[in-house]
Amino acid sequence: MKKRYGVTVSHTKITDTAEVVKRVRDEVAAGKADGSVDLVWINGENFRAMKTDKLLFGPWSESTPNFALVDVEGKPTTKQDFSEAVEGLESPWGMAQLTFFADGAKVTNPPRSINELIAYATQNPGRVTYPAPPDFHGTTFLKQVLYESVQDISVFAKQGDEATFKQYEDVWAKSLNELHKVSWRDGKQFPKAQADVTNMVADSELLIGITFNPNEPANLVAAGRMPAATVAWQHKNGTIGNTHFVAIPANAKAKAGAQVFANFLLSPEAQAKKNDLKIWGDPTVLAVSKLSEADAKMFTSAPAPGSVSIPGPALLEPHASWVALLETAWLKRYGQG
Amino acid sequence: MGGFARNRLVKALRSGLMQAVRRYLGAAPLVLLFLLPLALSLILLLRGLVDIQASQALFQHPQFSGALKLTLFTGITSTAASLMLAVMITSQNHRNILQQASVFLSVPHLALAMGLGFLIAPTGLLARLIAALFTGWTLPPHWQTTQDSFGFALIAALVLKETPFLVWAMASVMQQDELKQRFARETIVALSLGHGLHASFMRIVLPQVLQRSLWPIIAVFSYGMTVVDMALVIGPTQPPTLAQLVWTDLNDGEVLANARGAAGTLVLSGLIISALAMIFLVLRITRPLQRQWMTLAARPEIRSTVPARIIWPIWAIIYALVIVAMALQSFSALWPFPDLVAPHFTTTAWARLLQDASPFWTSVVIAIVTSCLALVAVIAWLETQSQARDRIALAAATAMLCLPALLVALGQYRLLLLVGGTGTWVGLLFAHVLSVTAYMLVMLTGSYRAFDPHWQSASRGLGASRLTFLSKVKWPMMKASLLSSLAIGFAVSIAQFVPAQLAAAGRFSTLPMEAVTLSSGGNRALIAVYALVLMALPLIAFQLSSWASRPRWRTA
Amino acid sequence: MLELRDISLAITDRVLVHPFSLAVAAGDIVTLMGPSGSGKSSILSYIGGDLLEAFTAKGDVVLNGQSLLLQPPETRHIGRLFQDDLLFPHMTVGENLLFAVPRLPKAERLTMVTTALERAELTGFADRPPHTLSGGQRQRVALMRALLAKPSAILLDEPFSKLDKSLRGQMRDYVFSHIKARAIPALLVTHDRKDAPIGGRVLEISNEGVVRDV
Repeated sequence: MKKRYGVTVSHTKITDTAEVVKRVRDEVAAGKADGSVDLVWINGENFRAMKTDKLLFGPWSESTPNFALVDVEGKPTTKQDFSEAVEGLESPWGMAQLTFFADGAKVTNPPRSINELIAYATQNPGRVTYPAPPDFHGTTFLKQVLYESVQDISVFAKQGDEATFKQYEDVWAKSLNELHKVSWRDGKQFPKAQADVTNMVADSELLIGITFNPNEPANLVAAGRMPAATVAWQHKNGTIGNTHFVAIPANAKAKAGAQVFANFLLSPEAQAKKNDLKIWGDPTVLAVSKLSEADAKMFTSAPAPGSVSIPGPALLEPHASWVALLETAWLKRYGQG
Repeated sequence: MGGFARNRLVKALRSGLMQAVRRYLGAAPLVLLFLLPLALSLILLLRGLVDIQASQALFQHPQFSGALKLTLFTGITSTAASLMLAVMITSQNHRNILQQASVFLSVPHLALAMGLGFLIAPTGLLARLIAALFTGWTLPPHWQTTQDSFGFALIAALVLKETPFLVWAMASVMQQDELKQRFARETIVALSLGHGLHASFMRIVLPQVLQRSLWPIIAVFSYGMTVVDMALVIGPTQPPTLAQLVWTDLNDGEVLANARGAAGTLVLSGLIISALAMIFLVLRITRPLQRQWMTLAARPEIRSTVPARIIWPIWAIIYALVIVAMALQSFSALWPFPDLVAPHFTTTAWARLLQDASPFWTSVVIAIVTSCLALVAVIAWLETQSQARDRIALAAATAMLCLPALLVALGQYRLLLLVGGTGTWVGLLFAHVLSVTAYMLVMLTGSYRAFDPHWQSASRGLGASRLTFLSKVKWPMMKASLLSSLAIGFAVSIAQFVPAQLAAAGRFSTLPMEAVTLSSGGNRALIAVYALVLMALPLIAFQLSSWASRPRWRTA
Repeated sequence: MLELRDISLAITDRVLVHPFSLAVAAGDIVTLMGPSGSGKSSILSYIGGDLLEAFTAKGDVVLNGQSLLLQPPETRHIGRLFQDDLLFPHMTVGENLLFAVPRLPKAERLTMVTTALERAELTGFADRPPHTLSGGQRQRVALMRALLAKPSAILLDEPFSKLDKSLRGQMRDYVFSHIKARAIPALLVTHDRKDAPIGGRVLEISNEGVVRDV
């Protein structure tokens, strides 16, 4: 980066993006203008929190040169982050969709809906679970259960409140209760993070894993952490999908440098690299049809072992307000073991 | 004559001035490095002390009451069990017990919790051994050995770690020269009055030892009630312990959650204080019963000392197994369940450690710098301040060690935010140096003050300056204490997680921070590598210190 | 000549020793007696320059016409001997002696150490660690060490009280003869009358803290 654009990038590992939101908030509150964060990987709740509290710099993202290549029509989540309008405050970076995976030698007939999952768990008690919310895989799983418990999911695109949720809470909880009865630890404990679930699947303590990156199972196979027979699938009626972004905090020190870097992240070259299973395997936000032939070539390759073999459509995320409703209800019902 | 008198007066003034300057300069490092920041941190905690809204939000948290019960259960049980085991161990005459305990002591809590997980989890080494030897399981058993709802795994990890600490604290009391002789004489008296060896220990020696080990016991309790990193690794989530709940809140993006977290640390502190108050009250009320037990009740005799004798060796075995489990894990990628060892041996994880070695070096450099700074500050203090002032420094250090780590860390963090020190090297150093100094102060003050002042009289009478005396006589003679306190400081610094995480502002990563991040990233080989390194560094420091402080010759 | 002028000693507000004066001529050994806790050792500390802070002492200490009060202990040229031999345990016997030798060319310093060992009847002991020596041998090394520093006066703080009865007389004669040979003033503090040199001046601190000849 430094060579080509004169921007020095230093990567900072964090456990949770919420920590960054908190840091920026603390810094702004303490009146620190030259903040410690220049660019943050963000979406959903954290984006909403920062947008609402005016902790973000912008609008800027739609004016970066490479934004023209983004598949805004085919991938509407690049402009609607969890039903929150992006409004140029963050730049799309990668795509995600709730995906399940397992060792194909052990799970021969993958369950393709929540009901099938419950049936599968009934036959294999104690071998299915999901990470405890607020791990976002866990939270997304709760949303998926909600979507599959009702007829019409359009209501969830709007701001939710307790009264609206009341109408759906019972059917949602009924599905969860049925699942928990036959879950790992009888649904009284949940793994702390998605990564724990993945490890437990690799060890066959659990049989079905969960991820938000459709390419992760293939990735795990490539890294030797899952067997080659790994299968990945999405549900028949679709699973929740979204886009992740990068945003610039309002008090960032190097706002210009951050924009240069964000534009680089959107370049066909960077997107293709990121899409490559050997590197990361994070799906692109670009429309391959908008690219030059040479660039487009970088995105086509033979499916690797562990790639999603049974895909389902992507469903839009519910409005961000539903997260708190679901998490609180879940904690009240299941937070005490 | 007038000139002579004036000359003398000037000399006297100069010498008085020098003394005052020396006194201030000597106190400055400890004050600046430790006392002042600690005081400011604690003062900053008062801000938002009674945030009714936040406290209400905390009490209404769906997991609050469960977390409260769990915290009390794990905190009290782990402390009581550690204390009981430590008493059993110290009742036996183990040779070199102090040295052995300090080996266990040097293992960071976090590394132990991670390693213990690799040992006892349903897919851990033990389950694989059982599968291979007895049962032929093909899928991992439905054991609830980690993350169990009652927190037994957490308790086990705490007991494994805290028992050696208490053993060390009690054994150091028993090996203080004057006490050692007194206990020996008193035991002989008790024996001559017809008490057994066990009864003599329980009735004569133990009560005196416990009385002098009060602060370490309180520190263990406070730690058990507030531990974050261990609970994150091996504790339950439904509900989690209060400390985990608070930690999640403190790191949350929402202001309300932060305030709730701050309220939580205060609740946690209140909980510890009231639990301690209860215990002291019970002890006070039952004092007549205790007296009766010491005199009138049947003499406590045991038929066999075998159980007590084998506990200590068992400790070594468990720690060894933990290390084996971690080592196996660190060289594996895919390790399907019933296999006793992973099918492929790979050094990928170790290579990753070398590839991204910056957390390693950050931790090592900070540990060296902070322990050296703390040593200088402590020695400067002890060399220039009157012994009466030690009480201030020691009270601060003891408070630091007995207050919930979360509480102090929150104060430190607020102080850093106030001066804009988060995310800077100085800030990170500061986050480490407080507890390092506290430990080293507690470790060193006793032996430093006990150094016979006659050595100085004799040396300076021989024409040696103060500096010559210190560098040629006092410090070489105290080499063992100085170096071992340096090693303790190093180990404490290496293990710092909570304050470091808050102060680093994501700009720096240290080994424990990296290890906790990794534990949510799931690459177990890498987790094992970090846990092993976390364990190895303090051990190396202790080995180096005991090698460097070996006496020039064996005295009889 | 070592002179004490109007020396008094107190701890917090309690007077331990009322003002007294004393002159010890070169080659003389004056004995100061008193019960334990009377402050006799603290007076030696005051002369040596390392009185503990808890005490306050007044009066002037003059050695060969120069006041010592404002000088640090190491430039006072006051040698000390204590109950314990205080040989540095991490140094050999030879190194202990070398520690005391003033700055001189190396060869000269080594010769002085060898001579001192001869006088202590410990020839060949230079490389031995102190703890391998007997109590009497160690105390002899301690005396030699004190004398090697070329003191202008020497303070003896019950140096014989830890020795066996049989050794005690022998050691006393040894110490006194070496001090007399050096012709420096010496002040001995003891609670045992028998430790005092025969014919020497003896003073006592009474229970009321008054110093007088006996």
